[in-house]
Amino acid sequence: MTTTSAAEDSILSVRGLSKEYVTKGSGAFGGRKHRFLAVNDVSFDVPRGRTLAVVGESGSGKSTTARIAAKLIEPTGGTLVFDGQDVTHPDARALARFRGDVQVVFQDPFSSLNPKHTVERIIAAPLQYQGIRAPQGTRALVRDLLDRVGLNPDHSGRYPAQFSGGQAQRIGIARALAVNPKLVVCDEAVSALDVSVQATVINLLRDLQRERGLSYIFIAHDLAVVRQLADRVAVMHQGRIVEQGGRDDIFDAPRHEYTRALLSAVPTINPEWDRARASMIAAEERAS
Amino acid sequence: MTAPAPLLEVKNLTITFPTPGGTVTVVDDLSFAIRDNATLGVVGESGSGKSMTSLAVMGLLPPGGRATGSVLLDGEELLGRSERELRRIRGERVGMVFQDPLSSLNPYYTVGLQIEEAYRAHRGGSRRAARAVVVEALERVRITDPARRADHYPHQFSGGMRQRIMIAMALCLEPRVLIADEPTTALDVTVQAQILDLLRDLQAQTGMAMLFITHDLAVVSQVAQEVLVMRNGSMVEHGSAEQIFSRPREAYTRVLLDAVPRIDDPFGDLRRVSA
Amino acid sequence: MVGYLARRLLSALGILLLISLFTYVIFFLLSPDPAVLICGKTCTPDRIDQIRGTLGLDQPFWVQFWDFLRGFFVGRTYGDGASAVSCPAPCLGFSFQTNRSVTEMIETRLPVSATVALGAAVLWLLAGVGAGLLSAVKQGTWWDRGAMMFALGGISLPNYFVALILQYVLVVQMQILPFPSAVPFGEDPVRWFQSYLMPWLVLAFGYAAVYARLVRANVLDTLGENFLRTARAKGLSGRLILRRHALRPSLTPVVTMFGMDFAGLLGGALITETVFGLNGVGKLAADSIAKNDQPVIMGVTLLAAFFVVIGNVIVDITYTFLDPRVRIATR
Ligand SMILES: Nc1ncnc2c1ncn2[C@@H]1O[C@H](COP(=O)(O)OP(=O)(O)OP(=O)(O)O)[C@@H](O)[C@H]1O
Ligand SMILES: Nc1ncnc2c1ncn2[C@@H]1O[C@H](COP(=O)(O)OP(=O)(O)OP(=O)(O)O)[C@@H](O)[C@H]1O
Ligand SMILES: [Mg+2]
Ligand SMILES: [Mg+2]
Repeated sequence: MTTTSAAEDSILSVRGLSKEYVTKGSGAFGGRKHRFLAVNDVSFDVPRGRTLAVVGESGSGKSTTARIAAKLIEPTGGTLVFDGQDVTHPDARALARFRGDVQVVFQDPFSSLNPKHTVERIIAAPLQYQGIRAPQGTRALVRDLLDRVGLNPDHSGRYPAQFSGGQAQRIGIARALAVNPKLVVCDEAVSALDVSVQATVINLLRDLQRERGLSYIFIAHDLAVVRQLADRVAVMHQGRIVEQGGRDDIFDAPRHEYTRALLSAVPTINPEWDRARASMIAAEERAS
Repeated sequence: MTAPAPLLEVKNLTITFPTPGGTVTVVDDLSFAIRDNATLGVVGESGSGKSMTSLAVMGLLPPGGRATGSVLLDGEELLGRSERELRRIRGERVGMVFQDPLSSLNPYYTVGLQIEEAYRAHRGGSRRAARAVVVEALERVRITDPARRADHYPHQFSGGMRQRIMIAMALCLEPRVLIADEPTTALDVTVQAQILDLLRDLQAQTGMAMLFITHDLAVVSQVAQEVLVMRNGSMVEHGSAEQIFSRPREAYTRVLLDAVPRIDDPFGDLRRVSA
Repeated sequence: MVGYLARRLLSALGILLLISLFTYVIFFLLSPDPAVLICGKTCTPDRIDQIRGTLGLDQPFWVQFWDFLRGFFVGRTYGDGASAVSCPAPCLGFSFQTNRSVTEMIETRLPVSATVALGAAVLWLLAGVGAGLLSAVKQGTWWDRGAMMFALGGISLPNYFVALILQYVLVVQMQILPFPSAVPFGEDPVRWFQSYLMPWLVLAFGYAAVYARLVRANVLDTLGENFLRTARAKGLSGRLILRRHALRPSLTPVVTMFGMDFAGLLGGALITETVFGLNGVGKLAADSIAKNDQPVIMGVTLLAAFFVVIGNVIVDITYTFLDPRVRIATR
C-alpha cells in the first residue's frame, strides 16, 4: 500500500468539506426554506509545525470552516484526518483526545469567555477538562501565560467584563495555549490588538511553533500579518477556496481575480508621510 | 474670525473604577474636540482607555465606573445628565458602534427588529415604514439579500456581517456624531474600503463628526484629519494626521509606527517592543 | 422539526421502559413476598401457592415483567376459569390492600393532584416572577430586601411546617376557612375553592421563593450583558429595554424549571396532600408505601416518571421556540 506523503506530514487534512445552512423565514414554522452553502467543497492540508492562513471576503465561510476543522459543528459533507486518524466521525475517546490536541481562539472574544468565571479559572479550564496537572502549579502557569500575552498577572482574579476588547482577546489566546495543543485555530485572534502588542503576540506564536512544533490555522483580514506568519495561504470567496499555495506565490503572483482585488485593496499609510518619517529617522540617526 | 465651536468637546475627562485593590484610573485627564465634518482617529495601546472614553461620552460606563470632567455636545454638558435626558441624545444625536458585535447584539431578536427599534425609538412611525429603512440600512453596508437577511438572528451572520449590522444600526438615524469603536476589524480589505467610503459619503452629506477608534494605522491615515495617540489612560500625542505620521514627536508613537506590519516585508522583521 | 419530535418521543419511551424495569426489579428483589402479605394472618401454604399462581409470582422474573408490560399495553387476565379477573389496558394490577384496580385508583385521584398543581402553579408563577423582577429592578432597596426575605422564608421553612401554621391560624384560630376536604367543583364551588386554597398557598410559597431568586439572578445577569448596553445606546425607553431585552433572556430558563416542577407535581404532592387530607396521587403514594402495597407503589412511581419524562420533552420543544439559537440547530 502506498501512503501519500502529503497526508503524512500534515497535522490536519480536510477533503471536500461542505456546510449547508437551512433557514426559514420569520416565525417558528413560517416562511419558505432557504438553503445556503456556507462552505462548498473545501480541501486543504495544514502541514505539521506550519501555519496555514485563511483569508477572504467577509462572510465567505472562514469561521465556518474553522469551526468544522475544530469539530465544533458538523459538516454536511467531507472528511477530516487529524494526525493520521480519521476524525470525521470519532468515538468518544478519540473526540476527547482531539479536543485536547486542538484549541480555538474565537473571533468574538467576549462571547467566548464565561462572564462568571475569573480569568484564572477560564485559562485553567482546558487543563481541568484534560485532567492535566501543571508541573509548577495552575496558578503559576496562568500567571506565566498572562505575562506572555502581555497582560498583568496580578489581574488573574478579575472577570472578563473588567477587561478591554484586546485584553479579552489575549485571555482567549492564553487559554488556547494552556494545554500544549498540537493545532491552534486562530479566528481573527490578533485583530483587536494594537500593532505593538500584536507584534508581541505574533512573536509568541512563532516562538511556540519553533519550540513545540505547533501548527496553526490562522484566519485574518490583515494581509501584512498573514505575510509574516503564514507558510501557506488559502483564499476564500463565497464558500470556496479560490486559490491556495505557498505564501510568496500567493502574494507575489496571485492568479485568481479575487486574490488580486484583495491585494490591491490593502490600505497603506499615506506614502508621502511614510517617506517623510523615514527621512526624519534617517536624519536623526545621522545626527546622533 | 473665531474657529467654529466644536460639535463634541471632551475636557479633562477622568474615569475611575473601584476594584478590591483600590480605585484604578483607566482614563486620566483626557481632552479633545471634534468639529463638524471632521474625523478624529484614536489609536493606542490595547487597554489604554479608548473604549471607556467613548462609553463615558454616551453615559454608558459599566457599573462602578465614574467619570469626571466635562463632555460637551454642541456646548451642552452631557456628564451627570439623567438617563431620561440622555435617552433623547443617544442614537439620535450620538451614534455608537461597539467593539464586540456578537455580544452587543441581542441573540433573541432578529437583526431587523434590532435596527428597526433604534429607528422607531426616535422617529416613530409604523413598523412597515421602518422596515424599508432597515432594508436600506442593511443594503448600504453591503449585506446581500437584505430583505431576507433582516429576519435572521445575529448568530446566523459572520463576524464581519455582524459588525456591519452594528454600523447599519448606528447610521440609520444619521447621527450628528458617530463614535465607531474598531468598526472594521472583522472586515476584509475590500469590504472595509466600501464601508469607509460609505462613512465618508455620509459625512460629506450630513456633516457628521466622527470619533474613529482603531488599531489599523493605515485606515487612520486615510479617514482622520486629526489623530490622538493614547497609552495607559493618558494622551501621548495629539496632532494632525500629517504631523503624527510624518513627524511623530513621542517615543511611543514612533514605536507604534515602527511596529506596523508591512505586506512587502515577507521576513517579518518584527521588532520586540518592550513595555 | 418532525424528525426531532419523533426522536425525542422515542427516547422518552425508552427511558420510561427502563424506569419501569428498574422499579420492577427493586420491588421484585427487595420486597417481602406479596403472597404472604395478601394472605394475611389465617394462612396456609396451599393458599399462598394459589395466590402466587394467580398473580404469576411463581414465574421467572422476566416472564413477570413481560406480563406486566403486556398488561399495561394490551390488558391481561389474572387466574383462569371462573375465578378469572380481567384487567383492561392500561393495567397496573390490583391493590393488595383493597383489591381495587390500580388504574382506577389513580384515575380517581389524579384530578385532585392536577387541581392542586395547577392552582399552585398559577400562584407561584405570579408571585415568584413578580417578586424576582421587582427585586432585580429595585436592587438594593427595601423592596428588594423584603422580597428576598420572603424568598428566604419560602426556601428554608419546610412545607409541612408552613402547612401546619397556616392551618392553625386560618382554620383553628381565625376560622376563616373550613378544614380542607376535597369537595368537587360542581357540588359547591365556594367550598371547593376554600378546600384547595391552603394547599395552593403552601405549595406556591415554597416554589415562588425559588423562582423569585432565580428570576432576580437572571435579570441581574442580563442587565450586565453587552446587548443591554446597545439597547441603551440606541436611546430606547427604560420600559422597552426591560420588557424586550431583559425579560426574555431572563425568563427563558424559568420555562425549563417550570415545566419540570409542574410535571413533578402532577405526580402528586406527597406532603401537602397528606397534611391537608386531600385524596390525591401523593396521598395515595404515601398510603401505599406505608402499607407496602406494591402494585400501587409501582403505579404511582410510573405515573410520576411519565409526567417528568413527557414534561422534559415538552420543555425542550418549547425551548426551540423561545431561543432562536436552539431553534435553528434542531431543524
Ligand atoms: N448558524 C447559521 N445559520 C445560517 N447561516 C449561517 C450560520 N452561520 C453562518 N452562516 C452564514 O454562513 C456564511 C459564512 O459565515 P462565516 O462566519 O463562516 O464567514 P467568515 O468567512 O468567517 O466571515 P467574517 O470574515 O465576516 O467573519 C455567512 O454568509 C453567514 O451568514
Ligand atoms: N469594570 C472595570 N473595572 C476595572 N478596570 C476596568 C473595568 N473595565 C475596564 N477596565 C480597565 O480599563 C482599561 C481601559 O479599557 P478600554 O476598554 O477602554 O481599553 P481600550 O483602549 O478600548 O483597549 P482595546 O484596544 O483592547 O479595546 C483596561 O485596562 C481595563 O482593564
Ligand atoms: Mg468569521
Ligand atoms: Mg476597546
